[in-house]
Amino acid sequence: MGMDKQIRRLGIALVMCFVALFAQLNYVQFFGAERVNNRPDNRRQEQRDFSRPRGQILSADDTVLARSVAERSRFKFRRLYPEGDLFGPVTGFYSFTLGSSGVERVYSGELAGATPELRFANLSDLFVDRENVGNVHLTLRTDVQRIAREQLGDREGTVVALDPRTGAIDALWSNPTFDPGPLSTNTQGSTDLKEALDVNPEKPLLLRAYRETFFPGSTFKVVTASSAVERDRVSEQQPVYPVLDSFDIDFTDRNLRNFGGESCGGTLYDVLRVSCNSGFAQMGIDLGPGPSVEGAEAFGFNDTPPIDLPNPAESRFPTEFPEDQGNGPLARASIGQGDVSSTPLQMALVAAGIANGGSVMTPHVMDRVTNEADETVRTYEAEEWRRAMSPETADVVRRGMIEVAVNGTAEGLLIDGMEVGGKTGTAQLGTDPPRSHAWIIGFAGPPGQPATVAVAVLVEGQEGASEQTGGRVAAPIARAVMQAVLDSRGPDGGG
Amino acid sequence: MIERMRRNAELTLLLMAAGVTIGAYTLASLGSTASVPANIGPFLGLILVLFAVAHIAVRRLAPAADGTLLPLAGLLNGIGYVFIARLEEDLAGLQSLWTAVGIGAFVATLLIVRRPRDLERYRYIALFGGVALVMMPLLPVVGLSVNGARIWINVGPINFQPGEFAKLALAVFFAAYLVEKRELLALASWPRARPVLPDPKHLGPVLVAWGVAIVVIVAERDLGTALLFFALFIVLLWVATGRVGYLAVGFGLFGSAALVSWQLFSHVQTRVDDWLNPWAPNPSIATYEPRGFQVAQGWYALSDGGVGGRGLGLGVSDENLPEAQNDFIFAVIGEELGLLGTTAVIVAFLLIIGSGLRIAARQDGSFEKLLATGLTTLIGVQAFIILAGVTRLLPLTGVALPFVSYGGSSLLANYVLLGLLVRLSDDAHQRGERRARRPGAVPVGAR
Repeated sequence: MGMDKQIRRLGIALVMCFVALFAQLNYVQFFGAERVNNRPDNRRQEQRDFSRPRGQILSADDTVLARSVAERSRFKFRRLYPEGDLFGPVTGFYSFTLGSSGVERVYSGELAGATPELRFANLSDLFVDRENVGNVHLTLRTDVQRIAREQLGDREGTVVALDPRTGAIDALWSNPTFDPGPLSTNTQGSTDLKEALDVNPEKPLLLRAYRETFFPGSTFKVVTASSAVERDRVSEQQPVYPVLDSFDIDFTDRNLRNFGGESCGGTLYDVLRVSCNSGFAQMGIDLGPGPSVEGAEAFGFNDTPPIDLPNPAESRFPTEFPEDQGNGPLARASIGQGDVSSTPLQMALVAAGIANGGSVMTPHVMDRVTNEADETVRTYEAEEWRRAMSPETADVVRRGMIEVAVNGTAEGLLIDGMEVGGKTGTAQLGTDPPRSHAWIIGFAGPPGQPATVAVAVLVEGQEGASEQTGGRVAAPIARAVMQAVLDSRGPDGGG
Repeated sequence: MIERMRRNAELTLLLMAAGVTIGAYTLASLGSTASVPANIGPFLGLILVLFAVAHIAVRRLAPAADGTLLPLAGLLNGIGYVFIARLEEDLAGLQSLWTAVGIGAFVATLLIVRRPRDLERYRYIALFGGVALVMMPLLPVVGLSVNGARIWINVGPINFQPGEFAKLALAVFFAAYLVEKRELLALASWPRARPVLPDPKHLGPVLVAWGVAIVVIVAERDLGTALLFFALFIVLLWVATGRVGYLAVGFGLFGSAALVSWQLFSHVQTRVDDWLNPWAPNPSIATYEPRGFQVAQGWYALSDGGVGGRGLGLGVSDENLPEAQNDFIFAVIGEELGLLGTTAVIVAFLLIIGSGLRIAARQDGSFEKLLATGLTTLIGVQAFIILAGVTRLLPLTGVALPFVSYGGSSLLANYVLLGLLVRLSDDAHQRGERRARRPGAVPVGAR
């Protein structure tokens, strides 16, 4: 009885052991590698990024918003944000201990030079390990952003300005905000600061412009109008809504009153001009639940906009209108109350879609990415996000909004020599004394040409609750910001 | 004729191993500091001298030996050195010193052990020596506990792990013991009533080996070495007798011991928990570090490497992976050389195992056969235990990766082991030659 048989079997057994090892290695290093690499506590990629310089973030007018400086610490570099809080939530912070946000997060690959187009500009790059960070140029302008900050002042609120033709965002300002510099030091101090900001009830870390929703109030009426015109329920002449001081809601004595208890009615433009609740409530009821939902969703409601910033919030329009609740929910939703809520960005997109022939462009903050040699390696390709309505419908509503600016509640928007449209809103908060969110949305451009800027301004928690509040409080801010954008566009519309 | 072919093949392979080592050393330096290492000349010289010494020794002392073992060990040693130098520069000098000592031990083994059969006579010295070595870390003054495992002894300036040498002594003893008893153990009638279990009186040696393993687990907290010793004994018992029952009983006993120690000892539980879910939050420290931090980081290093690796010197394990140069060096190889690199290491071990078992199969004498099998099992199983731990195929039980990990004891013991295998290979070939020259003669021990 020889031992060779056992030795052979031992050999087979050991080979099997190593085959199992090989199979496991194939899982860890190949088939499951991505899953393992993406585990939240796996910090290797960030660690590598932190030991390398990182590209700059620049505004459209070439102000440096974020840059890396060498530092003698565990990490060889840290980020500086020369503009402080002006672009805080847009650029975001960049910290090994705290993570990252904003553009730092979304375009991390570009800034670190990790994308293929930055890595291998030519064949020799395959063999030479040069620093090939990318610089991210934003569509936002420092001057416009500054004006937004000045105009809003200490009040809490949001300013969004964008180009309706492309979706390129010119200004995205919310107050309160934060300075990303102290959050990016990788020190205990930054951790303490972050913890303090996290529990701050005013949520300064949250760029409410696109991450928080509010009652849109009467600004939403242009959505209702668009839905109704698109479905041929309403034209410039028909119908003529009866003059009422309130709209009768089922099962309740608390009817939907017009602002200040005034009576109003008339054609589409009449009810738009004075922001007539009873007229738009009737319009929504006539339209019915299905088309109302479709119309709102065509603008992007009930979906998150594909903006190139992290975690956008979804604006909501209710989809269920139970019959046993009568006409109340739909009537309220049609005038931007009830269960409707919207981010300021979404309302700016509503204005932009109307100004841009019914096409809502994908909102974005990145304009282009350049390499170290200042060659453009990537440009943001503008694309349509939603087709909200036909160009014909858009034109009807657009002229209605111009009417509101020229003869209605949005007079404060008017800019000399420009075609301006707008819609105010005052979302009552039901407090005592009465307070409300003051809204305005609008667009402007050279007469006879497509509008080159759309805007949404929200000033939160203003005293008073009349329809004038939006026009009085928000319109001057929107006007100043639009003026600044138009100036920067130049006489030919720029872009 | 065959001698010259084998030696020339060995020389060629050694030069290739030297080339790989030098290239990797240069690349690792370029990767981490972007410059060619300053000591590249002396380093090249040292490697060539060490390999040349080993090669000439084999040429002189064991000319007919297998030509792949030394180059494979040299390659693993070289790659290991590159990674140690890249991870802990301070340890590189020591490791090269230990490599030189290891090569010296390899040559000394070839010089001293001229006939493997002679070792059989020292079986009881080997037994007592082996047991004494296993127990040494438990001695009060010299014993040293590192990271919870009491497997070190400290004499003056030198720390070493006697367990690495004990495994050689025990391999010699087990081989000699089983040659003496194999007839008895194999032919002893197993009671028909319970065919699975052999007669209790034949289980004596199994129980002794089991007892040694238990001591290692309980007193020294060294699960990996316990598993290695026990696997060595059970495998040799099975190879010697052909009785599968011994395998079943042996692993059954080890399994129950492992189960009991898992229930009794927290350090065993920790190992198992870390294996099953290294990402569970650590209850004892209030950080976001997962409980099985080292195991998880080992996996991250491997997955980070992907197929092609991050490149030598370009990984981040020196900041992340505790004990990267010891138990987890394989994870760093996986990070910087990728699946290709880890596969190469696995294949190198498989080739060593293949050569070792071929040497065993070629032996005429039972003792030599068992000794070669035992030594090969030691390398193969030790490599498997640590590789399976690092890749999370099995719970992590820290043992050194032969020839690759940092550590003098391990390197020295494995070079002695390699010397014995080379000697066995040469001996078998010489005997075969002699037999061929004397047709009709039946050599002793052949069957």
